[in-house]
Amino acid sequence: MRRRNFLKISSGALASALTGASSYLLWQPRAHAETISKTFYITHGYITQPDGVNVYFRGFSNSSNSLNVPGDALIVQQGDTVRITVINTLGTDHRFTVQGHGVSTTVRAGEQRTISFTAGNPGTYFYYDSSNAPYNRLVGLHGGLAVMPRFSSNRVYDGSPTFKYQKFWLFHDIDPVWHARIRDRRTPSTRYSPRYFTLNGLSGRPPGAPGAMDPAVDSMVDPRSALHGHIGDRTLMRVMNAGLCQQSVHCHGNHVEWLTDNGKILPDIWSKDCVYLEGNMGRCDLIYPFDYPPDAYPRVSRGAYPMHLHTEMSQTAGGGLYMFGAITDIYFE
Amino acid sequence: MGWRRRSSDSDSSSSTTTSSSDSTTSTSTSSMDGGGMDGGGMGGGMGGACYVYPAAPATPGRVTPNVSYNLGIDMNIPLTMDDGRTVTMWGFADNGGNMMGMGGGGGGMGGGTFPSPAMRVRQGQIVHTNLSVNMMMMHTVHHHGIEPAPHSDGVGHITWDVANGTYTYQWRPSSAGTYFYHCHTNTVLHAEMGMYGALIVDPPEGPGRLYSNGPRYDVEAFWVVDEVDSSWHTLGWTAGTCGGDVGLNELNPDYFVITGVDGSGNSAMNLPPISATVQRGQRLLARYICAGYHPQRIRFGGLTGTVHVSDGRVLPRPIQVTQLRACSGERYDIIFEPTSRGTYLIETDIIHWVTGEVLGTTRTTVTVV
Repeated sequence: MRRRNFLKISSGALASALTGASSYLLWQPRAHAETISKTFYITHGYITQPDGVNVYFRGFSNSSNSLNVPGDALIVQQGDTVRITVINTLGTDHRFTVQGHGVSTTVRAGEQRTISFTAGNPGTYFYYDSSNAPYNRLVGLHGGLAVMPRFSSNRVYDGSPTFKYQKFWLFHDIDPVWHARIRDRRTPSTRYSPRYFTLNGLSGRPPGAPGAMDPAVDSMVDPRSALHGHIGDRTLMRVMNAGLCQQSVHCHGNHVEWLTDNGKILPDIWSKDCVYLEGNMGRCDLIYPFDYPPDAYPRVSRGAYPMHLHTEMSQTAGGGLYMFGAITDIYFE
Repeated sequence: MGWRRRSSDSDSSSSTTTSSSDSTTSTSTSSMDGGGMDGGGMGGGMGGACYVYPAAPATPGRVTPNVSYNLGIDMNIPLTMDDGRTVTMWGFADNGGNMMGMGGGGGGMGGGTFPSPAMRVRQGQIVHTNLSVNMMMMHTVHHHGIEPAPHSDGVGHITWDVANGTYTYQWRPSSAGTYFYHCHTNTVLHAEMGMYGALIVDPPEGPGRLYSNGPRYDVEAFWVVDEVDSSWHTLGWTAGTCGGDVGLNELNPDYFVITGVDGSGNSAMNLPPISATVQRGQRLLARYICAGYHPQRIRFGGLTGTVHVSDGRVLPRPIQVTQLRACSGERYDIIFEPTSRGTYLIETDIIHWVTGEVLGTTRTTVTVV
């Protein structure tokens, strides 16, 4: 992992962070509400981008000596009590806000706060720092929260089509000039010019590139992002956009079922190969059906395809390096 | 995983460096550690290509097709804009197959158009797209929205990039509707340079119906809307692949085109099959492709259309629209049944992906007589 920060994160710290994430993603439906607790540490540091440039970020992290951008994805059940402790290790005030839940609290520099709320309507939500908007969110203080319907392990909302697996696809676009300005506690004053594009905090690496196939570096194989399925293993993607760019989510291999748009359940489910994802916290829920690729001759049931943003500027890093942007792989196994 | 190149394929992976200055190519085999030329992925950008994998292997499961397209490459297609300026476009030429990509014909020079020649096939046909590329460069064909086997999906870099030969993409479309095809090598640049064409899948009964047992139409219009940033149009085909800032994160278009002509003035106002004339009682099918990268909003000038198909899939229930938003790569098949005489202005705004500012607008017309 080619991340560096002020705090000299070890690869061990990062590995444990990922383990923490996966424990939240192992979802089991329950007949009763529970209290789900999670502690976030607001930390900062630098993350090395594909062209070697270190860019400043802040994150809702798993420990005081890690930097997680985005924060761990959380999955809870409607009616659960969600108890979040936010420990602000920085010298700047921040805010913890949960979209769609009327939850927001300021966490002053060096202090900590605990808030509890009841998980509301099933869906996909941001948690994020809503202060100094949009800058604190852009500098990395964001993550995803899924609220599952009561008693359900396989629906997005009551009565929705079913899925077997679920992933968060949290996209971001990054202007390092803005990030440096935010680090210096000043308001960005330049035209926004994103230079890096990430999926769950990582960018792609084509084969042969340094870091290719390393799940801690390469978004194409990051287990949080890459889809793995056999025929019929319908997979939900909770698609979120923390950045400012409007995007087009393009899957190869299968069309996706488009269930929701910015939190609204769509009246009809369309089958699409490109889905409009708005900037500034746009969201959609998509199901990749893992059907036989319909136009193959002869038929195939195994192989890999990319998902990438079709707004192709987002497939670059540092103004070049095609395929080092927001991309992952879909493996038919 | 033999169909797909990954860094684990270290023994066979090779990287190619092409110098655009003297048009020579050298190929060297490298270890997985250095697989992409200089390992660091930086410091290149001087005409070398990184993380491309030239090949033109035999197509697995190849059979005799019902339809074949033979595509070559043309890297010098002049497009004259309304202001008199000529911008160089790249594209596919429909003369590629006979030359085996060895130059002189379609493999590298001449014969191309912008947009590239349309493909029109019927649902259920086995199609071969034979792409010939010479030894000087690399390209692929990705049939966007068509979902074939990975080896026929045409995604460069992660499979291979066709060079110095002919590769056959084999596919059989399952769903009628509007698609397009484009190059998927250094895609950000190559598709912007114009390496795309329309791909229409008719139902088995042929043109005249949108899909099998679906709505009929009498007249067709093709609205393929795209933006051009002329500052990109002096770059070489490898630009940026080895690193270095060549500006591909910033698309600042200065021209706006519809189906191959400058759409910001009057050039497309009366130019079938971009514009269309229909009689009252006739049905017009507009095949709209958002071929640019920035989002778009298309407005129908007072007409109400019915979207029956999007991205090659029938909607569960058609929707009535007077305008649509679209993101890059989306397609909408819209049927109009106008009842009032008149000339209706069809305008497509190209909208900046961050600011939402309207960067430009293409214009054409539907005339109802």
